[in-house]
Amino acid sequence: MNITLKLYATLTDYLPAEARKTNQLPMQVADGTTPMDVIGPLQMPEKLVHLVLINGHYVPPAARVSRALQEGDVLAIWPPIAGG
Amino acid sequence: MNDEQLLRYSRHILLDQIGIEGQTRLLEARALVIGAGGLGSPAALYLAAAGIGTIVLCDGDTVDLTNLQRQILHHTPSVGRPKVESGRDTLHLINPDVDVIALQSRLDGERLDAEVAAATVVLDCCDNFATRHAVNRACVRRAKPLVSGAAIRFDGQISVFDRRRADGPCYHCLFPEGEDVEEVRCAVMGVFAPLTGIVGTMQAAEALKLVAGIGETLNGRLLLFDALSADWRSIQLARDPACPVCGPA
Repeated sequence: MNITLKLYATLTDYLPAEARKTNQLPMQVADGTTPMDVIGPLQMPEKLVHLVLINGHYVPPAARVSRALQEGDVLAIWPPIAGG
Repeated sequence: MNDEQLLRYSRHILLDQIGIEGQTRLLEARALVIGAGGLGSPAALYLAAAGIGTIVLCDGDTVDLTNLQRQILHHTPSVGRPKVESGRDTLHLINPDVDVIALQSRLDGERLDAEVAAATVVLDCCDNFATRHAVNRACVRRAKPLVSGAAIRFDGQISVFDRRRADGPCYHCLFPEGEDVEEVRCAVMGVFAPLTGIVGTMQAAEALKLVAGIGETLNGRLLLFDALSADWRSIQLARDPACPVCGPA
């Protein structure tokens, strides 16, 4: 199935170069894939995976390993930010 | 309010939600603005224009040429001057009635606590987690509303932490401390010029609402802004019952 991964702020460094213009990456994943299944292979430091959202709704840490993504879902990940 | 003030603030006074009573609250208020950079610039400009009576502006830095791409409180001739002095001059040009107290230092310890205690509302416009956590602790201790904004690259976050509302989280509930989160500064990562304007202006709006006592603030919510996609999201925040800062001691 098709999903879209969006990485914000400093996490955009973990996107392939061609995806950085829009900070989003279309992906094909297997049925039953969870947010952590997508996040894990990107090898982002755990402390930078601060907020996880599916279609704009917050996913608490415990649900990141259990909630199955659906066709068309947008998975968004924000690091902690402090810039001003 | 004198005749000139009635005229100056007439477009606020026309608003049913603000009126004379709300504008009087703004004139009597004291706002503590921590950081006179990308976020503090638009925040302080709008607070001054809107008639906040006293603005305490804190920043230990001097104006650098690289600041001028976004820090609209400062002008080209201000390069090399303390940011708080440059900022005070600009705020007085916009509104000479405002009492601007310029503190050229990074506030901490007892001075931070005293300034928070004296403030009606606190705006965290700084650029690092250590200061953000220190400001939060002082706001929790003194039960003062905190308007927090942050921005980097093309992305920004805004929230209000108002401990006068028993159910609301504090900054520490959302951003636990001591996790060795790498500081990512605009100097290294870059920041889109108007992003800091958008986030700082939202901070001013929330601060004015808190002082005037109108509307629903961002207390218990985090607003996320993605400038590349022109997309806003608002997520609900829960209080951490085990929070070492705002939880039961």
